[in-house]
Amino acid sequence: MEAPPVTVMPVTGGTINMMEYLLQGSVLDQALESLLHRLRGLCDNMEPESFTDHELVYLLKGQQGNPFILRARRSLSHPTAPWHLRYLGQPEVGDKSRHALVRNCVDVAASHSLPEFLNEMGFRMDHEFVANGHIFRKGVMKVVVSKLSRILVPGNTENTERLSLSYLVELSVLAPAGQDTVSEDMRSFAEQLKPLVHLEKIDPSKQRH
Amino acid sequence: MQHREEKQLEASVESLASRVAHVKNALHSFIYKLENEYERLAWPSVLDNFALLSGQLNTINKLLKNEKTPSFRNQVIIPLLLSPDRDEDLAKLTEQRVPVFSHEIVPDYLRTKPDPEVEEQEKQLSTEAARIGPEVAQKQIQALNKVCSNLLEKLNNPRDDRDTETSSLRQNKPSFNPADTNALVGAVAFGKGLSKCRPPGPVAPTHPGQGPMMSGGPTLQQVTIGGGSGQQAGMGGPGAPQQQGQPGKMPSSIKTNIKSASGSMHPYTRSLPQQ
Repeated sequence: MEAPPVTVMPVTGGTINMMEYLLQGSVLDQALESLLHRLRGLCDNMEPESFTDHELVYLLKGQQGNPFILRARRSLSHPTAPWHLRYLGQPEVGDKSRHALVRNCVDVAASHSLPEFLNEMGFRMDHEFVANGHIFRKGVMKVVVSKLSRILVPGNTENTERLSLSYLVELSVLAPAGQDTVSEDMRSFAEQLKPLVHLEKIDPSKQRH
Repeated sequence: MQHREEKQLEASVESLASRVAHVKNALHSFIYKLENEYERLAWPSVLDNFALLSGQLNTINKLLKNEKTPSFRNQVIIPLLLSPDRDEDLAKLTEQRVPVFSHEIVPDYLRTKPDPEVEEQEKQLSTEAARIGPEVAQKQIQALNKVCSNLLEKLNNPRDDRDTETSSLRQNKPSFNPADTNALVGAVAFGKGLSKCRPPGPVAPTHPGQGPMMSGGPTLQQVTIGGGSGQQAGMGGPGAPQQQGQPGKMPSSIKTNIKSASGSMHPYTRSLPQQ
């Protein structure tokens, strides 16, 4: 369950345009332990939190262009916690030298009637999965190591099968638009995780097919 | 000639004494640091102290090996007078460590033989050496020399050689698989490999809006023809195993279902024709 973004700027009205800076990589099961040890040493000193989340991705298709995607996430380990709704925009095609994937991000919390609400609004659930893993923090940076599982029977989160033999590792920062020093910090942190994991900017549109 | 030798002896004894005093001071400060400041002590400073002591011992060794130094083994020290009385001069000379030159201290301070345990060990070693015979001893010497020279070679060679070896070793155990990375990223980003509705039987209960969709037949899978939307996901990419175990599926089950986008998505307008 991802916490809503914490901002240090005073909210005077409207919304602050938050961008998510993202680097992704993966690690094989056998190297997971060493990665967790290294993260425990590198990241802030806190009990490593583990989480189990169920994420549903909703699509709203208009007559034209790309569908609008919303991601609804709920915690299976804290069933009473509110749902978390997130919008992720298209990755910004800035200069190629920027080291992280940057995209617009809006996060809100929602009540448990979120799926019905989205359906009434016209969204259709496209796919869902269960993510299970650990989350670490270093300052504003968040590192999530998660194992993705496919849900075999929709709505039944007990019956899952793993997608692959690797864990997904994501390094992300939520920051207001325009702060490019963030990606430098992310890159130096990613350097410290080599050669266990190679965190890099993976453009999702290049992944299709 | 004797005069010169005497002078040499005196000079060398003096320099030896000063070197030993240096070692003593270094040890003293080191012990003090260990006893009083052990909470703040860091490994590098401990190493520095050891290095200092080692350097000082080295200089002593060099001094003893120096040609100008007469062989101390030829000199004999004989106590001329032993008394149980306290000797002030001696006490001052030795900084209160030896206040009395008596029978007790002589065996310790004027000792020339090694300690009894050390003597025992030396005797054992020499009997062992005599037992194995000269040829075996020679072979052992050669083996030791070979190992040492190999080690020296490895240590002296430039770092690049070593790095290539270790990097090739590391590659035998990769800790991540780029194909997996792509598969996982695809899954998270747009559901590659994650089919959304699988089951033919039990209908997904929670989505009333899906009711009208199910009129399509026993399976909810519909191949997308949907205009123009770029969601052509789920081509069964490298990380996505076949979706097995669903016998009622049509062969199009590999494609992720995109809701048939005929007309608008608004549920109200769609339900109207059914009435």
